[in-house]
Amino acid sequence: MIATHARRHLRTVLGAVGLAAISACAGGAADRSDGVLVAAISDPGHLNPAITTNGGVHTAASLLYDGLLSLDDAMQPSPALAERWEVEDGGARYRFHLRRGVRWHDGQPFTAADVEFTFNEVLLEFHARTRASMGPALESVKALDDSTVEFRFRRPYAPLLQQLDVDEAPILPRHLFVGSDPLRNPANIAPVGTGPYRFAAYQGGREIRYSANRDYFGKAPALDGIVMRIIPDPATQVVALESGEVDWLFSVPGPERARLEKNPGVRLIQTALSPGGSNCITTLGFNLDRPSFQDVRVRRGIAHAIDRDQFVERVAFGAGRAADAPITSRIAFAHATGLPVPAWDTVRAGQLLDSAGWRRATGGVRVAKGVAGVADGTPFIIGFSVLPSQANYGDLLRAQLRAAGIDVRVEALEQAVFSQTVFTSRNFDTAIGAYCNGTDPEIGVRRMLVSSNIAPVPFSNMAGYRNAAVDSLFERAATALDVGERGRFYRAMQEIVVRDQPYVWLVETLSTRAHTTRCRGFAASSHFAATATCASRRR
Amino acid sequence: MSRRFVLRRLLQVIPTAAGILLVSFLLIHLAPGDPVVALAGDHGDPAYYAEMRHRFGLDRSLPAQLATYALRVVQGDLGFSYVQGRRAADVIIERMPATLLLTGTALVIAVIIAVPLGALAGQRPHGARDTGISALALGLYSAPVFWVGQVAILVVALWLGVAPVQGMTNAGSDAAGLPRAFDVLRHLALPALVLASQEIAVLVRLTRSGVIDEMTRDHVRAARAKGIGERMVLLRHALPRAVLPVVTVIGARAGHLSAGAAIVEIVFGWPGAGRLLLSSLQARDTPVLLGLFLVIAFAVILANLVTDLAYAAIDPRVRLG
Repeated sequence: MIATHARRHLRTVLGAVGLAAISACAGGAADRSDGVLVAAISDPGHLNPAITTNGGVHTAASLLYDGLLSLDDAMQPSPALAERWEVEDGGARYRFHLRRGVRWHDGQPFTAADVEFTFNEVLLEFHARTRASMGPALESVKALDDSTVEFRFRRPYAPLLQQLDVDEAPILPRHLFVGSDPLRNPANIAPVGTGPYRFAAYQGGREIRYSANRDYFGKAPALDGIVMRIIPDPATQVVALESGEVDWLFSVPGPERARLEKNPGVRLIQTALSPGGSNCITTLGFNLDRPSFQDVRVRRGIAHAIDRDQFVERVAFGAGRAADAPITSRIAFAHATGLPVPAWDTVRAGQLLDSAGWRRATGGVRVAKGVAGVADGTPFIIGFSVLPSQANYGDLLRAQLRAAGIDVRVEALEQAVFSQTVFTSRNFDTAIGAYCNGTDPEIGVRRMLVSSNIAPVPFSNMAGYRNAAVDSLFERAATALDVGERGRFYRAMQEIVVRDQPYVWLVETLSTRAHTTRCRGFAASSHFAATATCASRRR
Repeated sequence: MSRRFVLRRLLQVIPTAAGILLVSFLLIHLAPGDPVVALAGDHGDPAYYAEMRHRFGLDRSLPAQLATYALRVVQGDLGFSYVQGRRAADVIIERMPATLLLTGTALVIAVIIAVPLGALAGQRPHGARDTGISALALGLYSAPVFWVGQVAILVVALWLGVAPVQGMTNAGSDAAGLPRAFDVLRHLALPALVLASQEIAVLVRLTRSGVIDEMTRDHVRAARAKGIGERMVLLRHALPRAVLPVVTVIGARAGHLSAGAAIVEIVFGWPGAGRLLLSSLQARDTPVLLGLFLVIAFAVILANLVTDLAYAAIDPRVRLG
C-alpha cells in the first residue's frame, strides 16, 4: 500500500523534474520586450531619490526625475527644469526661471510650488548630503510665481549650482507628497517624476520596468523602455552581459575587466561619476586621538612608506590615478597641483620613524623608545579597518608597511559595524575611507577636514583633525563667488593639510561601466540611458 | 495518526517562535553595527541621524524597544523596513514563493537522485560502482555551493547556452499560465540542481550506509534464502527500512537548506528570501531580519512536523499520539 503510494508520488515528481530538464535544454528565444536590459546590484526597495543618498535608490530612480540643473561630465551646470538663473547679492540670492509647459508623468503641470515644497519639506529634511551642506547656509526657498524660485542664503553661498542636479536635489511632485510622511508615501514605490523615463512596474528583488517619456522636455528617448534586472552578484552580472542577457552594467569588478576588454561585443566606459557619490578618493585616515599618530613625523613617515602607484595598479587594476592632493583632480578649479605630498621613499620613511622614536628592533618590527604616551618597547603594530570589499587595500598596505618595520593588522568590518567602530566609538588606529568629493569641495572634502564635523556620524572627520586655519579657509572658500578666488583658498588649505597629513590620499578611483555593442549612446551620468539606442535583438 | 498530535505540535510553534524572536532581537541589538547608515544614508549631520533614530524608536531603551516590538508582532505587525521604507511583512511575503519553489524543487531533486544512487552504492560496498558514487558524493559535499554555482553558470549557461544565467523569468516578460510556468522552470533548473548538490551528497552517503546495514540483517538473509532475486531484495526488503533515517535527515536539513538557498539566490539572481536575509543583515534592517527569522523558524518546525507524519506513514512501528 505504502509502496504503491510512494511509487505514484515518485512518478509525479519524476515527471516534473523531467519537464524542467526538457525545458532547460529547449532554451531558445527569450520573449524580451523591445528596449534595453540593464543590471543593478541592489534591490532599491523604493524609488524616491529625494529622501536618501543610497546609491541603489539613485541608480534606479534618477531616470525618472530631474533636478533644476544637470551637470555634464566636466561637472558644468546646464539647464534642466530651470531654464536660466541669476545670481545676486554677491551669491546670497539665486533666482531660477523654470521651464514652462513641463508636465509630471501623471499629466499635472510642474510649477515653482513643486520646487519650493521639495526643498523645504523633503530635501532639507531627508537628503543627508543636501541637508548637511546646503541646510546651514540657507535662509529660504520660495516660489515667487508659477515659474520663478528664489533661494536666499544667510551669506554668499558659492557651490549652489553644483548641488542642484538630479542626484543632489531631485524635484518631487508636490501634489502627491503634500501633507504626507515623505518616508512612507505610496509614490515612493509608484513614482511620478518629470524625467526621460516613466515608471512602469517594480517587482521586488526581480526587476524594475520603465517606459519612455515621449513628452520629455529634453530630447525624447529613442528606446521604448528599460528593464533593470536586479542581479546581486557582480560576477553573475558580467556573465549575463557576456551571454547577452543584459546590455548595460553600472560597474565591472577590476579582475573581470581584462576579460571584457578582449570581448569584441562589449565596450567599456571609465568614469568618476557614481549615483552613490562621485569623484571618490580612497584614503587612509589616522586616528589622531591615538598617541602613536600625534607626531606628524610618524604620519609623514608612513606616507613615505606607501607606494600609491602600486595601489592603482594592483588594487584598482589601473582604473584611476595616484591621488596627489586632498581635492580630486576632477574638480579642476579647486585641485592643487605640485603639492609637497610625501613620495614613496623608504629611506626617508625610516629616517622620519627613527626620529619619532620608533626604532628598528631585531625581527624587523619597530619598537617605541621615548614616544610620548607609548610605553618604551611597544612594538609598532597598527590596526587598519576596512570594509570587506576593500580588504585588498589592507593586504597591500600590510606588505608595504612591513618593509618599513610596521606591522599592520587588517580588520575587515561590514558596513554597519565599520561606521559604528570607526565613526561612533572611534575605536581604530587607521581606517580606510572612500571619500567621495562630489561635485564641489563643499560636499565631500570639507566634511573630512573641518573641526566642526568631528562627530559620531558616518563619513565625518574620521581623523579627528583640528586646524583653525583650515576651518577658516573652508569658510572663506564657501562664501567667495569668484571661482579663481575660491581656488586660491582651497589651494592654501591643501598646502596646510598635506603638511599635517591627517590622511594619506591613496587613489582617485574610477568605476567601469560596460555595455554590449548592440546598444550605443550611453552616458556615465545619472540619466545614463536617456540618449541610448539599441539595434533590434537577434532572435 | 491523530489530529490532536498535529494540533499540539502546531501549538508548540508559539513558545518556540517567541523564544526565537527574543533571542534574535537581543542578538541583533547586542551585536556591533548601527543601522543608521541604512536608515539615513551617509554624510548627514548629527541632528539628522538623531532625528532618524528617534523616528524609528532606536533612541529608546532596549527593553522598551522589545516591548513595543513584541506588542506589534502579536497584532501581526512586523514593522517598517529601514531600508525599503515599506511594511516588513510585504517585503518578506513578496520573496517567499521564489524561495519555497527553489528549496522545494532542490529537495525533490536531491531525493530522486540520491536514494537510488545510495542504494546502488550500498548494494555492493567497496565495489567499483560504490567507489565511483561515493567519490562523487564526497566531491559534491566538499565543493562550496557558491563555487559550484559559478562553475555551473559558466559552463551550462554561458558556454553551452542551454540555461539562462540569472533571474526567475525572462526580463520584461508578462507571460502567464503555461508559458510562464515553462519560463520559470527553465530558470529554475540550474539553481535547483546546484542547491540540490550538497543535499545529494549527504543523502547518498546516508542511504548507502543504511542499505549496507540492512543487507546483513536476518530478514534480508531470509528473503535471499527464499530465493528472491537480489534486485527485489534490495527494493522490497532493504531499501524501505534503509530510507527511514533519510526521511528524518531531510526534515532536519530544512534549516541548512535555507542557508544554502541564500547563496544560490545571490549567485543566480533568484529573487528569494535568502538573498533578502543577507542584505538585511548587512544593513541591520532589524524589522525585516526578525520577520525572516520568524518565517524560517516556522518553516523548520513545519518541516519537522511533516517528517514525523511521514515517518508514521512509512514505518508501521511508529504511532503518533
